[in-house]
Order: sequence, then C-alpha cells, then structure tokens
Amino acid sequence: MTVRLSGAAIFVIAALYTWYGRGYSAPFGDVLGPSVFPMIVGILAMILSASLVVFPSGQVAWPDRSHMLRQIAALAVLLGYTFLLLPLGFPIATFGLIACLGIVLGGAPLKAVALGAVLSPGLWVLFDQVLGLPLPLMGHWLER
Amino acid sequence: METFSLVAQGFAVALTPLNIALLLLGCFGGTLIGALPGLGPVNGVAILIPLTFAFGFDATSSMILLSAVYFGCMYGGRISSILLNIPGDEPAVMTTLDGYPMAKQGRAADALAISGVASFFGATVAVIGLTLFAPLLAGLAIYFGPADYFALYILAFVTIGGIAGVDPRKTLLSALIGLMIATVGIDPISGMPRFTLGNYHIYDGVDAIVALVGLFAISEILMLLEKAAKDRARPIGLDSWLPDLREIWKTRWAVLRGSIVGFVAGVLPGAGASLGSVMSYSIEKQASDTEGTFGKGDPRGVAAPEAGNNAASGGALIPMLSLGVPGSGTTAVMLAMLISLNVQPGPLLFERQPDLVWGLVASLYLGNVALLILNLPMIGLFSRLMMVPTWSLMPIVAAVSFVGVFSISNSTFDLELMIMFGVLGYLLRKLDISLVPLVLGLLLGGDMERNLRRAMSISDGDWGVLIASPISVTLYVLTLLFLGLSVWLALRDRKRAQSRVMEG
Repeated sequence: MTVRLSGAAIFVIAALYTWYGRGYSAPFGDVLGPSVFPMIVGILAMILSASLVVFPSGQVAWPDRSHMLRQIAALAVLLGYTFLLLPLGFPIATFGLIACLGIVLGGAPLKAVALGAVLSPGLWVLFDQVLGLPLPLMGHWLER
Repeated sequence: METFSLVAQGFAVALTPLNIALLLLGCFGGTLIGALPGLGPVNGVAILIPLTFAFGFDATSSMILLSAVYFGCMYGGRISSILLNIPGDEPAVMTTLDGYPMAKQGRAADALAISGVASFFGATVAVIGLTLFAPLLAGLAIYFGPADYFALYILAFVTIGGIAGVDPRKTLLSALIGLMIATVGIDPISGMPRFTLGNYHIYDGVDAIVALVGLFAISEILMLLEKAAKDRARPIGLDSWLPDLREIWKTRWAVLRGSIVGFVAGVLPGAGASLGSVMSYSIEKQASDTEGTFGKGDPRGVAAPEAGNNAASGGALIPMLSLGVPGSGTTAVMLAMLISLNVQPGPLLFERQPDLVWGLVASLYLGNVALLILNLPMIGLFSRLMMVPTWSLMPIVAAVSFVGVFSISNSTFDLELMIMFGVLGYLLRKLDISLVPLVLGLLLGGDMERNLRRAMSISDGDWGVLIASPISVTLYVLTLLFLGLSVWLALRDRKRAQSRVMEG
C-alpha cells in the first residue's frame, strides 16, 4: 500500500512539474527552448510512478509508534537548530543540538548534556578559531 | 613513456606539505569513518565536502583529501567486520564471513594483517589500472559530440542502479527525480527562472552539496532511530598486532584474483565496491574452496573480498575522471565537489588540468603506502575508537554537517533545505529507491540538458541528430540491452518469489 501511495504522490508532483514546465519559452536563442527537457523528464516520471501505482513492488516496514516519535523528535531538534542558530549563536545552539539529539538517540541524559557542554565550545574553537570558518558566537538575542 | 613523466609530475604536486598533510589526515579520518558502524564512505565523504569547500582548498587538494578518505574507508570497513562481526560499511559485508570466525579462533591479528595487505594490493592494482587506462578512455572520449554525451548520460542513469535485486523502475524514477530537481533555478541558456515558485533562495538552483549532505547524513540519523538503542557487542580483544607472515603469503593468489575481479567490477558503470567484493568472494570460493573451509575462517576468504573492494573503489574513479560519469555512489559524491569547484571531469580534464589528475594518481600511490603503514600498528587505537557509542557519534555528525552547509552560504535556508532532503532521502530509502541515481541526475542534469539543446541547435531542430553518430547508437544499444537484462532479472526474481509463496 505504501508503495502505491508513494507512487501516487510522485505522480502528482511530476504532473504539477510538467504542468508548470509546459509554458516556459524563450523568444530567441536555442532551438529547443527551456521547456522541452523538463517536459520529457516530467512525462517519463509520470509514466514510471503510475506504473508503481498499478504494479507496486517491494514491501515497506514502517517503524512502530515509539520509534516514529523518536524520529519526529529528532527532526524537531534539527529544525529547531536552524531557527535558533542565529538568535542564540553557535556554541549555545550546538550545545542544545548535541544534548537533545544524544538523548533522543538513547544516550543517558546527563552524559548527553556533558557531551554537548564539552563539544560545542570545542567545535566552535576548532571551526571558527583554528580553521577560520566564521560562525556566530553570540546570537542577536544575546547581544542586545 | 609519456605516462611515467606525467606520474612523476604528479608526485611533484602530491609532495607539497599541504597535500601530504591532507593525505595523512584523510587516510586516518577515512579509516576511522570506515571502521565506525553506521558511517560509510558515502556519508563520510558527503559530510566532508562542504567543509573542504569552505576551507577554500583548490580542486587538487580537495580531491586528494576526499580520495584519501574514500580509500581509508575501504581499509577501515574491515576492522569492525573482523572484530565485531558488524560491517563498518556496505562493501565490508563479505569480510565478516571469514574474518569474524578467524577472530573468534584467536587469529584476529592475522585476519587484520591479511586484510590490510590484501587491501593494499587491491588498491595498488586499481591505481596502476587508473594510471594506464584512464588516459586511454579520456582519449576515446574526445570524439564524443553533444548528442553522444546525451546518450552516455542516459546509459549512466540506467546502469548506476546495478543489475540485480532492485526494481529498475525505481532506479529510473530516482534518476528522474534528480533531473527534476536539477532543472530548478535559472535556466543558464535563456536566463529564465524555472520551478522556483517565486522563492529567491533557489534562483541559483538547488546546491548539490546541500542536497547530498541531507540525503546521506540526515537520512542516516533517521534510519538509525528506527532501531532500538542498545549496546553493541564488545569487540574481540587483540593480544598483539604482529601477524604470522606465512599466513599472508598463503593468500597471494586469492589477493591477485580478487584484485583483478574487483578492478573490472569497479570500472563497469553501476557496480562499485560492494559488487566488487561480492564477486571476488564468490569467485574465490569457487576457485579454491576444495575442503569446505570458506565461511569458517579461511584466510583466503578474508583476502579476496578485501582486495576486491579496494580494487573496485579505485576502478570506479576511472569513468568518473575520464568520462565525467561516476561508477559508484561515493564517486558520484566526489563528482559533486568537482562540479561545485567548476572543474568539469571528462576528457578535457586530462588536457587542461593534468596537475589535478596526475597529482591525484600520485597521492593515491602514496596514500596506499600510508594506509598500510597506518593500519598495521595502529589497529589497537582504531578498535578502541570504534567503540564510540552511536548516541554520541550521530549528534557530532549532525553538528559537523550543519557547520559545513552553513559555511557555504551563511544562510539558514540551506540548513532547512538540507533537513528536507534528509526526510526525502529517508522516505526514498524506505521505499527501496536508491539515492545514488538521484544524486547523479541532480549532478548531470544541467549538463545533460545543455548537450541535448546544443545537439538540437546544431541540427536545427531535427531529432534525428540524436542517433546520427555511431557512438550514440552504440550507447543506446548498450542502454537497451542493460534495461532488457535488468527488467528480465526483476521479473524472474518476482516469479521466483511468487512460486515460493505458492509452495509455502
């Protein structure tokens, strides 16, 4: 069932893609124009995904509820990091990232917090100071 | 003997202090990445690419670093196979069959040394092959016109998924998804923005590096979370690292056969290191398993697949460098870095940037020696570092991925894009859809479209130009043969599975 549903989802995306791509045209320049290649790709993708809906192959075993909750928690941590990196600065945001991900991955909470506390300043020193990649130290929430 | 002077010139490039330092760092890091279960060559190289990019190394130094990591991974994968019975990466699966039994019999030091030496020979055979054959292939490719390149890319998409075990429709669909993503952004020929939905962040297109790190590193974290978090088995202890040299000598024919089989498997498109080690092992088993000792700790069963996977990983560099069409997942990821550095692999690379090609070849020779020396005495250190638990390893992987991607553009949009690609990669992996064709489509899409449009401009809109040259016709015939074979195999597997269900 999962394969059929995914095939249908890919079909819809490919169809939308082909629909959007059909109208691109360049007034001058090359013969083929910017629309033909996306049309070929989109139509082929539609055919293949439709065939997956009709003749699905393979089985998908989804994880049970508790593992799925862990995956969602991990995604929330990762997404949270992208929102908090600039407001909080690299060391604090990364501390949160490492500590929370460590806990989600099944590490003992105290150990995970300790790991984050050691590694986040360490990574900042390594990348920003030693290797010269500029990373925000204090976020704009803390600088005011 | 033009090749010799070119290789000598390459050694001059490889022996600069920066390149030597990167080589040693890459060898050490690669061995560690390979040895850590859960981190393979694809993830390792994918995480490192944005970092090398951000440091602003030139293309040669970056390639040296990444190839050293790639070769190091192949060496490292066997350590956890032998000591833990868990392959450190996919190609090392075959090494567990005889390596772990050997370790249980107290011959861990022998098994590690045999596999180390076999890795060295396999990789060296591959680098010699690279030295000899890559320029030949690049010489042939000079005759390729735009229509021929278009045909070559189609062949690459059809073959990259490999022959056996996968539904060919899924491989092709994966490549098509990659091509769809590749068309997002401003069309370089007409200057028209396509599929951007008004989002100015993606006017430049989707950065392949951001996509790669998400597809491989972030999806790996999600895959890991599926399994219960439990402690790994303790590795078998090592008394000494000093092996019995006679044992190594006994495996010489296995090493030789494994190297040659692996090399051929590596050069062929779509095979890569995993198939190289599987084929080497099964051929060696047929050739020399007269007493039924394979699978119970036969040293030859350790030597052959290790020689095979190292030879294959070196061989996979040949089509990547000379045609611009990678033969395996890791080389596809390396291609991403070259393209991002504005280096277009292919026949012209050998003409325009001989320093890169030959510097890389020379550093692969050096890297092999370094890996052999590094791997024998430092095996104890690696086996201890291997025990880093997953809960502390993966957060570091995530943090380093974020740093790398953030340092490319300093925008958090790229970080969000990376996470989206991570979810996409996870879903596709669950559906048994390989990510490698997607990466290939994303990387080659722009060039493929450009070649198609160039060919059509030359012919003034006549589609016949696509099959006008003998090269493109040959490539299409090969494509059709391969497609036919893989469809036939898929249908046969399905029938067999169904008849098994009926009988059961």
